[in-house]
Amino acid sequence: MTKLPKCEDKKLGLLIDLDTCVGCHGCVVSCKEWNSSGSEKQLSDINSHKRDPIGTFLNRVHSYERENTNTNETETFYFPRSCLHCEDAPCVTVCPTGASYKREEDGIVLVNEDDCMGCGLCAWACPYGARELDLVSGVMKKCTLCVDRIYNEEITPEDRVPVCVKSCPTGARAFGDFNDPNSDVSKKVKERGGVDLMPEMQTKPVNKYLLPRIKSKNSQVSLSKGAEEETDSTGLLGWVDRALSKL
Amino acid sequence: MHPAPSIILFTVLSGFGFGLLSIIGLLQFFSQISIFDLIAFSVLGIIFSTVGLVSSFFHLANKKNAIKSLSQWQTSWLSREAISSIFCLLLVCGNIGWVFLQNMYIKELGIVLFFLALFTIFTTSMIYAQLKTVPSWNNILTPSLFIFAALAGGAILLTNNASLVILLVFGTLQILFWYITDQGFNDKKTSIGTALGFDANEEIRPFDAAHTNRNYLLNEMVYKVGRKHSIKLRYISFFMAFVFPMSLILIFPGEFGVSILVIFLHLIGVYFSRWLFFAEAKHSVSFYYE
Repeated sequence: MTKLPKCEDKKLGLLIDLDTCVGCHGCVVSCKEWNSSGSEKQLSDINSHKRDPIGTFLNRVHSYERENTNTNETETFYFPRSCLHCEDAPCVTVCPTGASYKREEDGIVLVNEDDCMGCGLCAWACPYGARELDLVSGVMKKCTLCVDRIYNEEITPEDRVPVCVKSCPTGARAFGDFNDPNSDVSKKVKERGGVDLMPEMQTKPVNKYLLPRIKSKNSQVSLSKGAEEETDSTGLLGWVDRALSKL
Repeated sequence: MHPAPSIILFTVLSGFGFGLLSIIGLLQFFSQISIFDLIAFSVLGIIFSTVGLVSSFFHLANKKNAIKSLSQWQTSWLSREAISSIFCLLLVCGNIGWVFLQNMYIKELGIVLFFLALFTIFTTSMIYAQLKTVPSWNNILTPSLFIFAALAGGAILLTNNASLVILLVFGTLQILFWYITDQGFNDKKTSIGTALGFDANEEIRPFDAAHTNRNYLLNEMVYKVGRKHSIKLRYISFFMAFVFPMSLILIFPGEFGVSILVIFLHLIGVYFSRWLFFAEAKHSVSFYYE
C-alpha cells in the first residue's frame, strides 16, 4: 500500500561525508554491478558500446566548486546522489498501482517491479532525481539500500552492508540505523552536524550528508607550526625556546 | 518537464470530453438540453474522453500493469483519476441508456454527472498540482486552469453567453498561470545550495558532468529545448484558445457552424497551452545539473 508507515523501529540509511569523497565513482560502478548480476532484474544500458550510450543507474556522483571565503580560493567537492529513503516519501504516495512502498520494519523505500506500470510519476515526485525508469524493462528503478545484501545470511557478516559502502575506498559512505542514537551514523551526525538535502521539500530524508569543512586561512601554516613545536620541544633549541619564552 | 505528446493529448482531449459531459449534466439538471443533443453530445464526450485515456495508456512503459492503477485511490491522484473517469463514463452510458428506453431524462442525474465529470478533470489536474518538485504546478491555478479549459470546450458547443463568461475566466487564469510559471523557483527556498545541503544562497557551480551522456532524468525533467520560443508560443496559444473564439462568438452568436470552427481553434490553442505547461515547468532536480 502507498500509505506511509510510521517506522518506529529502525530507520536504515546512508551517511555520506562530502569531505572525504574523492569522486572516484567506485560506488556508482559497484552499485550498477551488484544490481545487474545474479538475477533477471537488470539495470539496463542502451548503446553501451556505441555512440550516445544511455543507461539506468541508482547512484550518480556530481562535482561542484565553490569559493572559500577564508582563502579566496576555489574548492571542488564531490557529491554522490541516490535515494534518501525519506520518511515522508512523496514518490510512494503518488504511485497509482501500489508498486512503490516504504517498509515499516526498516524504512527502506522499494519498488515492486511486478506491480509497476512505468508511468514515471514517482520520478516526477522525487525532488532529488533518485528514481530512473529502466528503458528496457519499462519499470522504475531505485536504490534498494542493498536489501538483498544487508539481511543476506548467505554472505559473510562483514559483507552485509550496501555495496556502495563496502566498495568506497575512502570510507566516505557509512550505513546504519538513524533511529538508534548510539549507532555510529547517529553519533557522527551529532558530532559533525549531518544535514538534509532540500529540507524545504518536507520529505524528511533518512540519509544524511556531512558537508565539506571550510579550510581555514592558516590551515597549511598551523600544520607545519605544530610539527615544529613538537620537534623543538627537546634538545638544545627546545631549551633556548623555553628559556626565551620565559623572558 | 518533457512535453510528451501522449500526455498533452490525454489532458487536452479527455479534458474536453469530460468538460463537455459536465456541461451536458448542468444543462440536463436545468432541463435546458434536447434529448437529441443530450445523446449526440454525450457520445461525442465519451469519444473524446476515451481517446484521451487511451492516449495516456500509450505513455506507460509497462502497459500490462495498467489495471493495477485502480488500486491506490487512498493516496494517489492518478489512481483516483482512473477510477473517477471510469465511473463518469459508466454514468454517461447509463444516462444515455435511460433516455433511449424512456425517451426522457432524469434531470437529477444531470447534477451528479456535472460534479463527477468536474471531479474527474480535477483529479487529472491534481496529478500535476500535487508535485512540490514543480512550483509552477504546485498551486491552485493548475486545477483552476484545467477545469476552465475543459468547461470552455463544452460551453462553446452547447451555450452562448455562458461560453463567453467561461472563456473570459479561462483567459484570465491562463495569464495568471504564465505569470506564476515565470516566477519558477524565485520565491521558493530551493536552490543549488539547499539541493546540496548548504544554505539557500551559498554560491556553488557545477565543476564537471556527472555522466558523459544524457540520462532518463535529463530527458524527462530537465527539458529546455522549447523554452526559447515560449513567448511566441504563448501568443499563438492565447489567440487560438481565447481571442479568436471570443471574437467569433461575439460576431456570430448562436451559429452552430461557427462554434465547430471555434472549438477547433480553441482545442489547438489549448494544445499549445498544455505543451507550454510541461515544457516551461522547472523541476527541482535540475538544480543538480545547472
